[in-house]
Amino acid sequence: MRIFTIAQNTFRESIRDKVLYVLLFFAAVTIFGSKALGWISIGQDIKIVKDIALSATSIFGILIAIFVGTSLIYKEIDKRTLYTILAQPMQRYEFILGKYLGLVALLAVVTVTMTVVSSVYILLLGGTLHLTFFLAILLIYAKLMLITAFAVLMSSLTSPILGAIIVFSVAVFGHATEVFRDLPPQFDGTSAKALLEAAYYVIPNLSNFDLTREAANGIDVSGAYVVWVLVYGLMYTVTLLILAALAFQEKDV
Amino acid sequence: MSAIVTKNLSKIYREVGKASVKSLDGLDLTIEENEVYGFLGRNGAGKTTTIKILCSLLKPTSGEAFVFGESVRTPQARQHIGYLPEQPYFYEYLTPKETLDFYGKLRNLSPAERNHQWDKLSELLDLRDIADQRIKGFSKGMRQRIGFAVALMGDPPLLILDEPMSGLDPIGRRMIRDLIMRCRDEKKTLFFSSHVMSDVEQICDRVSILVKGKLTHRGRIDQLLESQTKAVEIITAGLSDETRRTLRERATDYRALDEQDIFVLPDEAAANEAVQQLQQQGGRIVQFTPIRESLEDFFLRQQTPTNEEAR
Repeated sequence: MRIFTIAQNTFRESIRDKVLYVLLFFAAVTIFGSKALGWISIGQDIKIVKDIALSATSIFGILIAIFVGTSLIYKEIDKRTLYTILAQPMQRYEFILGKYLGLVALLAVVTVTMTVVSSVYILLLGGTLHLTFFLAILLIYAKLMLITAFAVLMSSLTSPILGAIIVFSVAVFGHATEVFRDLPPQFDGTSAKALLEAAYYVIPNLSNFDLTREAANGIDVSGAYVVWVLVYGLMYTVTLLILAALAFQEKDV
Repeated sequence: MSAIVTKNLSKIYREVGKASVKSLDGLDLTIEENEVYGFLGRNGAGKTTTIKILCSLLKPTSGEAFVFGESVRTPQARQHIGYLPEQPYFYEYLTPKETLDFYGKLRNLSPAERNHQWDKLSELLDLRDIADQRIKGFSKGMRQRIGFAVALMGDPPLLILDEPMSGLDPIGRRMIRDLIMRCRDEKKTLFFSSHVMSDVEQICDRVSILVKGKLTHRGRIDQLLESQTKAVEIITAGLSDETRRTLRERATDYRALDEQDIFVLPDEAAANEAVQQLQQQGGRIVQFTPIRESLEDFFLRQQTPTNEEAR
């Protein structure tokens, strides 16, 4: 009940954030502008539009998760709205979970809106929509849930700017974790190799969530793979939320 | 059962790259049920730190605190607490009605209970006219009224108020004072910090004074000030010239007003001697008033370092 109350309020608060509308504007411009790239690649225009629509949903979703998520807790402390809330008979994890759910609810609305806009645009251009397109959207949303959990963790630990830099870095490197594993031979035996290998195992492999190529080309993906990625994302998300709750539990506000 | 108990409560603020600051040093407090307790101290004395520990916003470095027997780290303790922070802040996009509903939900009140609380508190705090206006743009006084309503939401038996009168105009201060009195009549326990000594003197049963994180004085106001009688004022009538002359010699101050003579004597012993003389030589005592130092005098004296401390 309390978690839902905090979530509802966070949703109302986040939907007023101007950053959200700026990012949504650019996302729309990118999706509608994708047709221009389609003209360059003869006969591939629908494929390009699908590719760009999914990429835009992912990139702008990540940016919303980072910009709104990393300031979520910090803003409450800074504006002192937290004092009267945490003085209520509630557990601190309820607050963290409520804030998180409020933001992922907002991201659900953003993702659905972008999906509807992209789908209508693709259909208007004469394209067809394959199930993989929607599975790709589902996995993008699972990825956004994971990144939001990390943003909430950072928000309870550090300032929005530093938090945004860290989450952004993890989001970028998370799409190319192989870089940490497949190091050139000159790294052999160095502590840098051990560190980067550790990063490979700790940082979530976000490219697992990427079905853009399959969706653009209408290639089927197995249900088992989708379930596996969802479970993979959920495990990371839950772990990050537990860490966020633990970090916030002892925090002086 | 005691409403608040703190045992050896200490708080040290540590920040990377900065010197540690000891804000609270071994605070032992016991506040009984149904008492109005004033918590006094200069800015930075540790009052807000104590209050924040009681409301579980800060974790003590050492020591323990309990509210109605429950550790302040548990939600059960906060069930008993209504908290008004200094300068309360709320979500600006909510209206007072939505704000109270939000806090009612956080207290797990049913919709019927929340409606009942709104009806009661909006009338008590005069919120009806602004019920559906956004909080953004509200004055300090209006926010304080909403803050008080939030503190009273769910009818908690203990109110913890941090500087509830600070920054308010005389009408706002009066309103808060009346509310505190009303809560006292309703047998609530009130623990509040304040800089407004006259209000504290009027409202509180007992006070504590905190200096640099340490408790220096505590007790009933009349007991704290009892030994501090500064002078005694005696108003007399029907004195002979001789009695008037000898009493003037004893007095530190004298004035005549209409048919009365007013003497200020330096202490109770001198006043008692003057009374004996009046009884022997004739004359009437109209009024006998020990002049005690006010709580403000007392408080200011505690803040002035002695020569030894200053060195």
